[in-house]
Amino acid sequence: MDLSLLADPAILSELVFQGLVRGAMYALMGIGLSLIFGILGVVNFAHGEFFMLGTYAMYFVSALLGLPFLAGVAAAAIGLFVVGVVVERALIEPLRQRAGRDWLLDSFVLTIGLMVILQNLALLGFGSRRRGITTMVEGSVVFGNVTITYERLAILALAVIIVGLLAAYIKFTDTGKAIRATAQDPEAAQTLGIDIKRIYTVAFGIGAALAGAAGALLISIFPAFPTVGYQPVLKSFAVVILGGLGNIPGAIAGGFLLGIVEAYAIFFMSAGWQSVITPLIIILVLVFRPQGLFTAQGERP
Amino acid sequence: MSVATSAASARGIVASTPARVLKVAVLLGLLILVPPFLDSPYLTTVFISALMFGLFGAIYDLMIGYAGLTNFGYAGFIAAGAYGSALASFHYGISPWLGLLIGGTCGALMGLFTGLITLRLRGLYLGLTTWFVAEAVRFTIANTPEYTRGVLGLAVDPFPSVLGIDFGRAKLLNYYYLLIVLGALIMLAMHFLVRSKVGLAFRAIREDQLATESLGLNATKYKLINFTVACFLTGVLGSFYAHYLGILSPTPEEFGVPRTVEILTVCYVGGRGTLWGSLFAGFLLVGFQEYFRELEAWRLVMYGALLIAVMLFAPKGLAGLKKYVW
Repeated sequence: MDLSLLADPAILSELVFQGLVRGAMYALMGIGLSLIFGILGVVNFAHGEFFMLGTYAMYFVSALLGLPFLAGVAAAAIGLFVVGVVVERALIEPLRQRAGRDWLLDSFVLTIGLMVILQNLALLGFGSRRRGITTMVEGSVVFGNVTITYERLAILALAVIIVGLLAAYIKFTDTGKAIRATAQDPEAAQTLGIDIKRIYTVAFGIGAALAGAAGALLISIFPAFPTVGYQPVLKSFAVVILGGLGNIPGAIAGGFLLGIVEAYAIFFMSAGWQSVITPLIIILVLVFRPQGLFTAQGERP
Repeated sequence: MSVATSAASARGIVASTPARVLKVAVLLGLLILVPPFLDSPYLTTVFISALMFGLFGAIYDLMIGYAGLTNFGYAGFIAAGAYGSALASFHYGISPWLGLLIGGTCGALMGLFTGLITLRLRGLYLGLTTWFVAEAVRFTIANTPEYTRGVLGLAVDPFPSVLGIDFGRAKLLNYYYLLIVLGALIMLAMHFLVRSKVGLAFRAIREDQLATESLGLNATKYKLINFTVACFLTGVLGSFYAHYLGILSPTPEEFGVPRTVEILTVCYVGGRGTLWGSLFAGFLLVGFQEYFRELEAWRLVMYGALLIAVMLFAPKGLAGLKKYVW
C-alpha cells in the first residue's frame, strides 16, 4: 500500500464523496433503528428486512412499471410505513401487554423471528435472483479530476431531504412533539393525554419507512435479493453504537463517519477485510467509549 | 418458613430424587437403544444432529436462562472451537482428543475476552458485541485461506481409534455414543453448576442485578464465570462437530447468524431456565426439519413463526407442558 495515496487530493475527495453516499444510507438506517429503540425500547433486528423490502419496492415500481425514480422511493417509504404499522400492532403491541422486565430481550427475539419469516417469504415469493437497476439517473459531473455521477448526487440529496423532513416533522408537528415527549418519559406523556400506543405505532412505522427508503435509494449498489439486508443491518447497528443508542443526531454523525472510514478501508485493503474492519471499529468503541462517540454525558450505559 | 413446610419440602425432595433419576435413566436408555434398533445411517445422523442442537441450546440456556446473558454471536464461538481444534490437528498434528480441550480453550478465551469488554455494560451490548466479535472471527477465517483454507473448506481428520473403538468416518453410531458421553458430561457439569452457590448467584443477578449487587455480590464476576464456562463447553462441542463433520467452511449457514438463530430457537422453544427443555426441543425441531425437508423455505418461515408464537403465547416453551405430560 502506497501511503502517499492517502493524501492525494483527488483520491481523498473521491473517497470522501463515496463515503458520504454510503454514510447517507447508514444514517437513514441508523436513525430508524435509533428512533424505534428510543421510543419503543425495541432493538429491531428485522431492520435489514425492511431495507430488503424497500429494494424490492423500488425494483417493481421503477424497473417493472417504469415509473420515475422518485416514485420508487415514495412507494418504498409508504409501503414500509404500512408494514411497520401492521407489525407493531399485530406483534409488538401484544408482546408489550405481557412482557415485563425482560422486554428488551424478548422484543429483540421477536424481531429475530420476524427477520427469519420476512427473509424466507421473500425467497418464496421472489426467488434468490438478484434484481438490480444499474443506473437510475444518467450523467455525471467533473470537478477537477474527480468524477461524480448525478445518481450519487441524487442519492445524497434525497437522503438529506428525507432527514430534513423528518427533523421538521419531529420538531414542529403535534405528533412529532408527542413522539419527543414519549421518548423522554412515556408515563408523564400518557398523563398529559398523549395516546402513547399510537405514538409507538407511528414511531415504528417511521423507522421502517426510513429503512425502506434507504433500500430504495441504494438499489444500484445493493440489488434486491432476500438476504440483502444483512450488511445494512450490521452497519446500522454499528452506526447506532457509534452514535450512542437512541441518540438520533449521533446516528447521523455516526453514519457519515462509518461511511467515510469504510470508503477508505475498501480502497486501501483487499475487499474481504472490510468486513473485519467494521466490527473491529465497533469493538474498540465499546471498549473505550461505550456511551457512543457523540454522547455528551460521561455516564456509562 | 415454618418447620412443617420445610419438612414437607424436604420430603418432596427425597421423594422426587429417585423419580427424577428414573426419568433420566429411561430417556437416556431410549437415546442409547433407539438408533441401533432403527439401524439406518440417515436416522443416526438425524439423532446426532438433534442431540447436538439440543446440547447447544442447553448451553445457550445456561447463559440466557440462568444469567440473562444474550449471545448473539453464538455460532462464532462454535467456530472458534471447531477451527481451533481442526487447525491444531491440521497444522501441528495434535490429536483430536486433545483438540476437544483446545477447542474448549479457544471458546473460553473468546468468551473471556468478549465478556471482559462488555459485561460491565447493559445486557444489550453483550448481545451486539458478541455478534460483532463473531463476525470479525468468521471473516478473518474467510480472509486467511493460506492458513484456514477459507471458503474453500478445511478438511478435518476424524477422531483416531481409542480403546479399540474405531471412529472412522462411516462409524456413525460410535460418533453418536461419543456425543452422548460428551453430552452427559456437559449436562451434569451444568446441572451441578446451576445448583451450586455460584448458580444461585446467577439466578439472583437475573432476577434483580441491582439488589444482588447491593447484597455485596460482584455481578460482573459471576456473569463472567457463567459466560466463560458456557463458551468453554461450546468450544468443546464445536471441536466434536469439526471432527464429526470432516469439513469446515466459514459460511453464514454454518457459523453465522442463521445458525445462531436456530440454536436460539431451540433454547426458547425448549423453555428458558430449564437446561433439559432444550434437549427435547432439539429433537422436536430437528425432527420437524427433517420430516418437512421438501418444504424448504416454508420450513424456516415456520421456524420464525414458532419463535414468535413462543414469545407471544408460551414464554415457558416446552417446559411449560411438562406438568401435563409426566
